[in-house]
Amino acid sequence: MSRAAQPETAPAVEAVGLGKHYGHSWGLQDCSVQVPKGAISALLGPNGSGKTTLLRMVAGFATASAGSVRVLGRAPAQSEEFLASVGYLAQEMPLYRRLNVAEHLELGRRLNRRWDDGAARGRLTALRVPFDRPVATLSGGQRAQVALALAVAKTPDVLLLDEPVAALDPLARAEFLASLAAAAAGTGLTVLLSSHLLRDVEQVCDHVVLLASSRVQLCATTEALVSCHKVLLGPRRGPSGCERSFDVVRATHTERQSRLLVRSPGPALGPSWEVFEADLEEIVLAYMGQGRDGGAIAAGPLSLLSTTGGAR
Amino acid sequence: MNYLTWRLHRNQVVFAAAALVALAALLLVTGTRMAHDYSAALSTCAATRSCGDLSDELFQGDGLVLDFVTAVSIGGPLLLGIFWGAPLIAKEIDEGTHRLVWAQSITRRRWMAAKVGWVLAAAVAWGASMTALVTWWHSPENALYGRLGSGHFDIQGVVPIAYGLFAVALGIVIGTWTGRVMAAAAGVLGGFAAVRALVLLYVRPHYLAPLTARLSLGRAALPGNPWVLSKTLVNAAGHPETVTSTFGYVPAVCHSAVFKGPSALSSCLQAQGYRWLVSYQPASRFWEFQAIEGAIFVILAAALVLLALWRIERADA
Repeated sequence: MSRAAQPETAPAVEAVGLGKHYGHSWGLQDCSVQVPKGAISALLGPNGSGKTTLLRMVAGFATASAGSVRVLGRAPAQSEEFLASVGYLAQEMPLYRRLNVAEHLELGRRLNRRWDDGAARGRLTALRVPFDRPVATLSGGQRAQVALALAVAKTPDVLLLDEPVAALDPLARAEFLASLAAAAAGTGLTVLLSSHLLRDVEQVCDHVVLLASSRVQLCATTEALVSCHKVLLGPRRGPSGCERSFDVVRATHTERQSRLLVRSPGPALGPSWEVFEADLEEIVLAYMGQGRDGGAIAAGPLSLLSTTGGAR
Repeated sequence: MNYLTWRLHRNQVVFAAAALVALAALLLVTGTRMAHDYSAALSTCAATRSCGDLSDELFQGDGLVLDFVTAVSIGGPLLLGIFWGAPLIAKEIDEGTHRLVWAQSITRRRWMAAKVGWVLAAAVAWGASMTALVTWWHSPENALYGRLGSGHFDIQGVVPIAYGLFAVALGIVIGTWTGRVMAAAAGVLGGFAAVRALVLLYVRPHYLAPLTARLSLGRAALPGNPWVLSKTLVNAAGHPETVTSTFGYVPAVCHSAVFKGPSALSSCLQAQGYRWLVSYQPASRFWEFQAIEGAIFVILAAALVLLALWRIERADA
């Protein structure tokens, strides 16, 4: 997919120092992130990293304890304009169990000023979802499709999906993501979907936001991530020496060799190092592991990577 | 929202309407018969000048239906609170469907307004139908016993409507806070009973300053079936007697009468100027009391609804 956004366009979602605490612990802390307009972004992080908390605050479902968030320049509020512009699909995909699909579409039509009934009916008909059965009797994949159809038919500008494919089998997952990609194609719809596995959502995402330990660890386009990370293979050295030379994200050592995942290696690499392309999965896993260790990296949060322009 | 509210709650409406029809049938049949018995008894006793004893004779065989109607009238608002108020918000939170509705382009305030508005309107409709029927049904009883006493006051007029509103609002607010239907239902059960009992015992007697009357110690009673709050023995000087020991207050003149039986004692005391000092609320204050108590429960209900709205607008979902 193409580069998500131009530097001059304002981000669709912009959080600054956003935080939320539950009792004495932080569900999300010091989260600053920009989600580009018109792109499908993956919000990645292990369980408990604050993905749901972030999405709920963006959607206006929860209030921030610290910092601020703006969606298309608007702070979340109980106003019809804000609510109409933001779609939110909670993780458990809430639906009225006893109501059938037609009744769900009817309530969506009545509760939204902008409502694309034809598209929702068309999509669900194509997927052969029965309209006249209570949704409790539908399969998990069908329920997910119904919930997605409702969220998309609302025609929001920004669509937030909380772990939409986590509970789906691989086939339903692929169908769901295909529906999502089809709905977003050519509409300028901004999508932010969370997942704890990149592999689950890789096929549709062109931007990655990585949360770990309740902080943003990484925020970049997938292209930029791949292009500015390299895997280095070379003779084993003391870890301190390595980290002084490069920005090491993760180092694994065998007796003879060191394998380093590094960021933006400069030209000063010694001849003893072999350079390989890093793959997206490895990069993301490396950062997730880092967050879990409490941010062992010397460089701290990756402000080096801007969301809009890739590596600078 | 009207569509969704109706779609979600139509079963409750149908069930309540069916119950109302059944109760109406029962009340119409028994009420017609009681009214007939009463007027027949009135014409009979007028001939024999024994109408004062009517209350001892009439409707003795109707105890079961009287108790049943009283129980349903007193319990009705409680059932509204448990079956309509408690699940209204709690069920949505419990099942997570509030996240579906709140993700539509409708503010939480409008969502609450529609749901709460409709359930309160339904509670008024139910309460008004019930109280209209029971008020009519109860009119022979009123003529015999008055309608200010507890058990009579609470099932007719306008207060049953206000009780219903309060019970529903209580269920809504507890459900909003806990997000659990069973907790809200239990809260309604305890909270409604507690507030009703407190008002009945400690607040209602003071709505208006009670009247007092001195009654002779014989059988004389206040006319017009008032609500008697207290009855104290006072001496000729008007001071209440405190009973320090058995017959401790009995003046020396009447000591011999103590052993001749209660009627001899009371006529001796009567002769010495002893009277019953009765504090009471006259039956004519029925509608004033209805208005005051109705207002109390309506204001409580309104406060609870506002509390629930306040909570919903700030709650994290």
